[in-house]
Amino acid sequence: MRILIADDELMSRRLLEKTMQRAGYEVTAVANGRLAAAELCKSERPRLALLDWIMPELDGPGVCREVRKRKDQSYVYMILLTSKEKKEDVVAGLESGADDYLTKPFDPEELKARLRTGKRILDLEDRLIEAREEMRFQATHDALTSLWNRGVIMELLGRELTRARRENKCTAILLGDLDHFKNINDTYGHLAGDEVLKETARRLVSSVRSYDFVGRFGGEEFLVTLNNCDPAFGLARAEKIRQTIAERPVETSAGSVPISMSFGLLLSQEWGYLSVVELLHEVDTALYAAKAAGRNCVRLAAPKVQTEGARELAPEPVWRRR
Amino acid sequence: MAKNFIDLEELLERTENDRELMRELLSIFKEEFPQRHQALREAVKSLNATQVVMEAHALKGMLSNLAAVEAATAVAEMEDLGRKNETSKFLESFSRFEAIAKELSRQVEACMAEVSG
Repeated sequence: MRILIADDELMSRRLLEKTMQRAGYEVTAVANGRLAAAELCKSERPRLALLDWIMPELDGPGVCREVRKRKDQSYVYMILLTSKEKKEDVVAGLESGADDYLTKPFDPEELKARLRTGKRILDLEDRLIEAREEMRFQATHDALTSLWNRGVIMELLGRELTRARRENKCTAILLGDLDHFKNINDTYGHLAGDEVLKETARRLVSSVRSYDFVGRFGGEEFLVTLNNCDPAFGLARAEKIRQTIAERPVETSAGSVPISMSFGLLLSQEWGYLSVVELLHEVDTALYAAKAAGRNCVRLAAPKVQTEGARELAPEPVWRRR
Repeated sequence: MAKNFIDLEELLERTENDRELMRELLSIFKEEFPQRHQALREAVKSLNATQVVMEAHALKGMLSNLAAVEAATAVAEMEDLGRKNETSKFLESFSRFEAIAKELSRQVEACMAEVSG
């Protein structure tokens, strides 16, 4: 673990440096408070620091205050080294943001023990951050496929459409539904069905660019947004994705399962200022048309051919079915 | 026999029996002490309390690290006088420190020879 030592007095700095190296720390040593603050505010900073109280340019408590101002960074455990023993000095030091203090000249064993306390606190913080990130992931991703979940993919689509309108760009919305998925579940079992869903998700992600979005919209339905998509190539890109899904069977624990997917496609530029829900209704209608056309194909939602009659033929939109 | 101004046992404990580090610390002290000593002398002469505090504090750190407790105590007294702005007591206090410092410098040389040998 890295540790910063800040002390303007050379003997003290050298003694600390050597003691810390012997204890297995990777040491960065500086001779004043300003350099210490700069070091502790870097993105790749040491997370343990031993700061002399009195230093040129910026004293130890000043360094603590500078570091604590940065709320966005991971915690730095700071120990002030001081010859000040008065209660009011200790209080002032701890109130500046220091976690602990040690009276100079220090005892090597006591110093190492206090640093171990610091490491325990940093480890605890790491575990909390890890747990928070895990919870954040669970709240935003589908548990089976690890794709964005329904809520998030709709929010991302909303943001993307706003951006596309502002910049006069096109977003292609693809709503895909695995063909005959019920039959897959019935024939191969639900475990194999889950494997098919996971592999479908993987194929979808692998067939789009890093800045496109893929989410699980419902049971066997997936929503893909192709951001900043040239409308002239929208249909060709959707077709390529369809081919990627269907190009080979999925190898599951219950055997090889051939799959295909039907897609509704909508190019946002052609639809003016419709809401996300309205656009999803249109793309769902196109998906229904793809199913009706024999499945394993893409159908484009076209505003000009959208008639009242066609709307009547369309089923309830997917988000209303659930 | 002269009094020992460096607690060698304490110094060895502080350096975790690292004789090489001990030699290095003594060598740093030997190089830095005369300048700091001179700076304190000048601060005392000019009755500059702020400077006395600064120089005495720096010397106190060096002497403490060397386990030279008596010298560190003497210079801590000067730091204290400086903080209280008791300039009239500077000279008397500094004389006490100088007497210790003279013998201390000799003992540092002896220690270095011992550690190196």
